[in-house]
Amino acid sequence: MTLTAILIVAAALFGIGLFGALSQKSFVMLMMGLEMMLNGTLLAAVGFWAFTLEGAPKGQLLAVLVMAVMAVELAIGFALVVAVYRKRQADVIEGIGTMKQ
Amino acid sequence: MMIFVLAFGMLILFLTFGIWFAAVLDGVFSRRLSGQSAVGLLAPFHAAAVYLTQQRLRTEAPDQLNWFLSIAGYLSVAAIGLAVVPFGPDLAVIGLDTSVVFWGACESLIVVLIFLHGWSPNAPLSLIGAYRYVAIGLPIMLPSMFVLIAAAIPAQSLDLREIVASQETMWNVIRQPLGLPLFLLLGLSLTLRGPFDYADSEDLAGGTSAEDSGANRAGWQVARLAMLVGFSAVASTAFLGGYLGPVLPGFVWLVLKTLVVMATVIWLSHLLARMPVARMLGLIWKILLPISFLDLLWAGLVALA
Amino acid sequence: MGRIGGTGMTDLIFYALSALAIWSGWRVFRVDSMIRATFALMVSFISVGGIAVLMSADYIGVATVFMMAVEMMVMGLFMVMFMMNPAGLNPMQMVHQYKFSIGAGIMGFVGLTTAVLLTNFPDNPLPENRDTLRDLGIELLGGSMLIFETAGVTLLATMVGAVALSSRRGRFGDSDVGAAPPGLHPGGEPAGRKVEKGGGHGGHGGHGGHQMMAEKTKPNSNDDPHEGHGNMPEMEA
Repeated sequence: MTLTAILIVAAALFGIGLFGALSQKSFVMLMMGLEMMLNGTLLAAVGFWAFTLEGAPKGQLLAVLVMAVMAVELAIGFALVVAVYRKRQADVIEGIGTMKQ
Repeated sequence: MMIFVLAFGMLILFLTFGIWFAAVLDGVFSRRLSGQSAVGLLAPFHAAAVYLTQQRLRTEAPDQLNWFLSIAGYLSVAAIGLAVVPFGPDLAVIGLDTSVVFWGACESLIVVLIFLHGWSPNAPLSLIGAYRYVAIGLPIMLPSMFVLIAAAIPAQSLDLREIVASQETMWNVIRQPLGLPLFLLLGLSLTLRGPFDYADSEDLAGGTSAEDSGANRAGWQVARLAMLVGFSAVASTAFLGGYLGPVLPGFVWLVLKTLVVMATVIWLSHLLARMPVARMLGLIWKILLPISFLDLLWAGLVALA
Repeated sequence: MGRIGGTGMTDLIFYALSALAIWSGWRVFRVDSMIRATFALMVSFISVGGIAVLMSADYIGVATVFMMAVEMMVMGLFMVMFMMNPAGLNPMQMVHQYKFSIGAGIMGFVGLTTAVLLTNFPDNPLPENRDTLRDLGIELLGGSMLIFETAGVTLLATMVGAVALSSRRGRFGDSDVGAAPPGLHPGGEPAGRKVEKGGGHGGHGGHGGHQMMAEKTKPNSNDDPHEGHGNMPEMEA
């Protein structure tokens, strides 16, 4: 278990997340792509903390913040999905193509 | 390594006998209160034999893999929850600094697994059970986490081993009187019992396990009892001093306290009244959660004093 | 850094967990049911939590599992709520710009990996026997308390924002009948741009009949806050 190996795994997770976020039509699946990218970020943050920071606690703080970002993204994302669905009965991205007035 | 093997052996023993005894106890209480179920030391084995020889029923296009995984997962999460419980000083199968948070992770996985168990048969009643359970199971976790954090405050550690050690002079159930009752309600929810049983209840003809038959049904019932054992062990460790006690060896004390908690949970499950989901949600968010805040505040003030 | 029975064992567990994380991550976008996708993502998160525990970040690892199990449960509920069939067991294939996305994903991976391989990272590993849990606690409620509290307040604002966004009752009436700004004088015509009849948000095509829509959504508006404002009976699922 080296830093390089961990970062490559994190890069793979990030790549998969990018693919998902770009390719999925459904809002909720799109959010799963974003979460997957944050998953890679979290792994990279913990990896850097464990291997290059001599255990400085700020590295763990960064990981905690990544988790907070995930929670915020999910909550606001779902609220927006609900709002859009109420307004337009749309649950796919193409459904709000006319949002630009 | 020796200690790990010893602890692991104790865990298996504890779990097996605990499941059997929970089944017997459940029969006794149902008999006493409703006069229905069969009582006897061998009754659980009869029930298991009936289930195992039954014909397997299939639903239309079920998700067999997830169906199996949910049952196996529920059983193993119960065992993993029991594994963080110290059977004696430094005698836990999983010795983690963060075992309270670890148990919290188990709790949240349980909600997922119960949902999966209701979802995978692809049948209406079980899906309704799964949905209702998620609405109740997620919020009831919040008070339980707060009371567990309150129990960790006097120990100044998130480690269950330290929490037991901190109860040398006074058990947490006396120091924080609100903690154990709230935690017992969580136990009702985790083991799908009584008023918190929105997943497997009678009004849905069995809910998430309505479509279970044969080995699946036997496995799910065993897993529920195993969860009762695991939960009771955690409750007696966090609030009743775990392995601490005079004269008798520590493990025996833990077993005795676990049995008391188990009996209390089963008794409560037959005693308390059921509520509609909406009222239960109101109760959890508006009454139980503020009470758990009070418990946390009380623990903090006691620690400062 | 060998936490469980020597470095060799740790390496083995690390590679197994990494493979599981990547495989289940890949399955998220390949399985044909949204519930399966959600729980595949959860497995990926749990594997990453396991790797974090291997790296002695006990709290971060376990908290990841804890948070993600709850988040994915909520996500699964939302998925099924917005899907055509309730159980989500029907096959689905809902992708667009497929080739471009695959390209972007691979480019992202290759680019990051190249950057990782070409960079010379400093080598300051975590000291043995460091109490990382205590470190984190002191940091969160000591030096970085302001950052931590800011995160807390952000979460509170998120909760308020999420409720405001998703609530059906709004300042200008129910959200699904279209919003109109208040009049210039009390009880007067709505201010601002004049809109077509039928809805307050003209200009978007594709959906007709807002009245019908409003009626259609009314019965399943049970994600409203349950503080008894007339539709309590509908709450009971």
